[in-house]
Amino acid sequence: MEQDRAELMAELGRVARVLDGREVWFDWEGFFWDAADWNEPAAVLLARESGLEELGDAHWKVLRFFRDYYAYHGRAPLNRHLREGTGLSLGELEGLFPGGIRLGARRLAGLPNPKSCF
Amino acid sequence: MTQVTLTINGRPRQVVAGPDLMLIDLLREGHRLTGVKQGCDRKGQCGACTVLVDGRTALACLSRVAKLDGAQVITVEGLGTPAGPHPIQEAFVLSGAIQCGFCTPGMILTAKALLDANPDPGDDEIKRAFRRNLCRCTGYVKIIDAVKLAGRFLRGETTPDAVRPRPDGPVMGVSHPRPSSMAKACGTAEFTGDILVPGALELAAVRSPHPHALILGIDTSEAERMPGVVGVVTAKDIRGTNRLKYNVGDRPVLCDGKVRQVGDPVAAVAARTREQALAAAAAVRVDYQALPALLSPQEAMAEGAPQVHADRPNLCYVQPLRKGDPDAAFAAAAAVVEGRFSTQINHQAPLEAEASVAFLEGDDQDPVLVVIGRSINIHGSMAILQAALGHENMRYQEAFSGGQFGIKLEVVTEGLAAAAALKFRQPVRYIPSLEESIVITSKRHPYQMDVRLAADAQGLLTALALDFVVDNGAYQSIGDTVVRRSLHMLSSSYFIPNVEGRGRLVYTNNPWGSAARGAGPPQTHYALECAVDMLAGKLGLDPLEFRRRNSLRPGQARATGAVVQDVWPFPELCDALLPHYQRALKERDAAGAGPVRRGVGLGAAAFGIGLAGDKAAAAVDLDPDDRVTVSAAAADPGEGNDAMLAQLAAQVLGLPLDRVRVMTRDTDHTAASGPASGSRITYMIGGATQDALQQLKAAAAEVGSLSWKAFQEAGRPTHYLGQKKILETAPIDPVTGQGPSFESTVHAIQMAEVEVDTATGQVKVLRMAVAVDPGPIINPQAVEGQLEGGMDMGVGYALREEYVTGKTRDWATFKFPTMRTAFDMTVITRETPRLRGTLGATGVGEMSMVSTAPAVINAIHDACGAWIFDLPADPARVKAALAALS
Repeated sequence: MEQDRAELMAELGRVARVLDGREVWFDWEGFFWDAADWNEPAAVLLARESGLEELGDAHWKVLRFFRDYYAYHGRAPLNRHLREGTGLSLGELEGLFPGGIRLGARRLAGLPNPKSCF
Repeated sequence: MTQVTLTINGRPRQVVAGPDLMLIDLLREGHRLTGVKQGCDRKGQCGACTVLVDGRTALACLSRVAKLDGAQVITVEGLGTPAGPHPIQEAFVLSGAIQCGFCTPGMILTAKALLDANPDPGDDEIKRAFRRNLCRCTGYVKIIDAVKLAGRFLRGETTPDAVRPRPDGPVMGVSHPRPSSMAKACGTAEFTGDILVPGALELAAVRSPHPHALILGIDTSEAERMPGVVGVVTAKDIRGTNRLKYNVGDRPVLCDGKVRQVGDPVAAVAARTREQALAAAAAVRVDYQALPALLSPQEAMAEGAPQVHADRPNLCYVQPLRKGDPDAAFAAAAAVVEGRFSTQINHQAPLEAEASVAFLEGDDQDPVLVVIGRSINIHGSMAILQAALGHENMRYQEAFSGGQFGIKLEVVTEGLAAAAALKFRQPVRYIPSLEESIVITSKRHPYQMDVRLAADAQGLLTALALDFVVDNGAYQSIGDTVVRRSLHMLSSSYFIPNVEGRGRLVYTNNPWGSAARGAGPPQTHYALECAVDMLAGKLGLDPLEFRRRNSLRPGQARATGAVVQDVWPFPELCDALLPHYQRALKERDAAGAGPVRRGVGLGAAAFGIGLAGDKAAAAVDLDPDDRVTVSAAAADPGEGNDAMLAQLAAQVLGLPLDRVRVMTRDTDHTAASGPASGSRITYMIGGATQDALQQLKAAAAEVGSLSWKAFQEAGRPTHYLGQKKILETAPIDPVTGQGPSFESTVHAIQMAEVEVDTATGQVKVLRMAVAVDPGPIINPQAVEGQLEGGMDMGVGYALREEYVTGKTRDWATFKFPTMRTAFDMTVITRETPRLRGTLGATGVGEMSMVSTAPAVINAIHDACGAWIFDLPADPARVKAALAALS
């Protein structure tokens, strides 16, 4: 029954997890429900879960660009903004994160799901 | 050909006209006078193309240029400009008669002709003059007001300057003109079809005539050889997921292998002209193998029924709800009523047909795909298109948009236009006919509902059971959200300790359902509010007193178990309505009991806004010219969101309105604020804006000045991002339906006064009144306009409107509301501040029609004793119900 409930909750688009003693809500694809719940240890944890054992300088540069852009504009950057902001090529950006830019880097940076209504 | 000399807006013009050249084309295409709108497939049904020919109104879509030699033609552009408007244009702006603005130019010219002939017309004369001008937004009330005000201006009794609020005067509670309204009044506001895109390819779609069929093959060879054709797009050209995913990714941009409803897109032809594209689209051969069509949820749920989607069962979503012990409560009740109700498939009916433009901008290696359309969720629509088309570098721009009422939550024509622009690397316009637009857009979900309602001997509600089946149509989109919204608002204004609910969502081969003003609650309120009247009757209680007695109170729980923390001023609204109700009952009693019977009916609504988990963002900038710009993706297809945001900024910062700009229309320049749906704009996007404004205000206090230069010198940022988040995040439990709910609620009670002709079954609405509490009102005309338009829409839903596949083709077959069906309206407002409201305010746009239909149906019962269990209550249904009585 509890398993069914968890699956049904995931279908509803929201799943709660406990990170560092805090309840944090994620959506059905593991994106933070609220960008304000993100912090660096959470990014490290999610990175490990996605198969990325360590976040190097290039990763942090991308994640911080995502965070800063979102905090300023209230929307996610497009790839053209990422290229300009990080100095990395699209290929480099896609290769840095499992799942690429949209489903990898963006998720680790705590931005909302690009498929989200909001 | 005929050489014609005519004068257009005072300027002599010569044209060599063929017999088929219509005035609308000469004006729009030949002279770029795009204030002349086309909204009814040139059938003369909408009046949006009304112009003056020799001082009299003429429908440009039916006027042949060859017959206009020597004519004096005036369009709205010839009447005045935003810098020098005509008094009638001023009157429409100042009366709040302009919402989406698509009908406005035609309305203004009709007013001109009327006032030239009759400087002081009465209501009946105005209604007669405007009988050919349609409006979906206003319920016509403020249009009549505008004509009367224009008459006063023209007669010299007052002036626009005397009526217009001062931009540096009080802000809150003042009906300042909407920032966009003068452009709409003067025909300079460009809707998508008005935007000039020289050389753009025109698109025509090949659509399924079948409700359910396999696509065995598509032969485009003949079409591709036809004159002007550049090419054909099919599913194999789509590089992305080819699925327009809102909640569920089941709707293709172009069908691949199967069609699931009439009108499904199979291919799109791009050609130099629209006529060439249409001709070629007709030449595309699609080999279908018809499948059994599932035209009701019962057929779709039957054992052995074919699946509409191979990867999902037809019964695709079920959400139960259980609060308290409803079984025991029903067993112990003093009185129980029950009924089975159903509602129809309905079209939201914005006046403007669908339209979109797509083109590639900039860098050839990684161009920006620009889509111009009518989305009320530009960032969401962009994300949907990015995934569906596999093109990330995008910008979505919202043009002026001719009404929406939920229909523009979904990506429709944009998908085809963008796919064609990507394939052909040329700009593309896709402007389908009204008939095609009606077929291809989402609809209001039809509901089948079984309701039971119980009360104790003291007349207190003790239990509610409401089981409903929702016909999803062919695609889910937000169907599950609509089910949950219905459950969240299941007990409406009342405290009901024991509730059992269940919503089931079922795929069929009917038109797909999605957002439609209210989206779920208007359907369930029909069943609930009729049951409330039935129960009041059984208990011998007055329906108003019964509703008041059962009001929920703060600290009590809704159907989802969520305890209400905010105010709940429903009893006060009942009190506010009471004198009107008593007057209506007196008039009903005085009317006697002939074949035409008079009745009074009520409908209450508590409409939730700001569901758990909702969040919004908005930005404000202090600009070098010391003005403040609000940047939020808050689409405004007519509600007045631009006025709300501007007045909010002026109020918070203490600025005159002319120091505020609002930017809402472009994904490159706005925060992603979420959809302009769910009545969430004031509460959520306004709330985020208020947060940003307060940050700017705090900074200004520290700097000592709200001037850009002072901020620069102090090294302070001039840009602030605001957020609004609902405090709760969790959804309701998928098994029990219990959990957090809406943070804010707008309350209302509506009253219908009707006449029922018992011989013909014809129902005439004489008057609607509403008592509403949306919190402190920012712009009264905007609030009234929503209520009046919503009640007009609700009456249409109750009595006339229905979408029938293959039959509903235009505004006549839709039974669009007109000045002839318009009725008197009274709006009573109360302004109880909400705990977390935007300056205390919450939204109002959808609640305006949630309880209209039950109020009308209860009034019909009051008049003649017959219950109408299926909408719409057309004469045949009313007669059948009367016959069943006897």
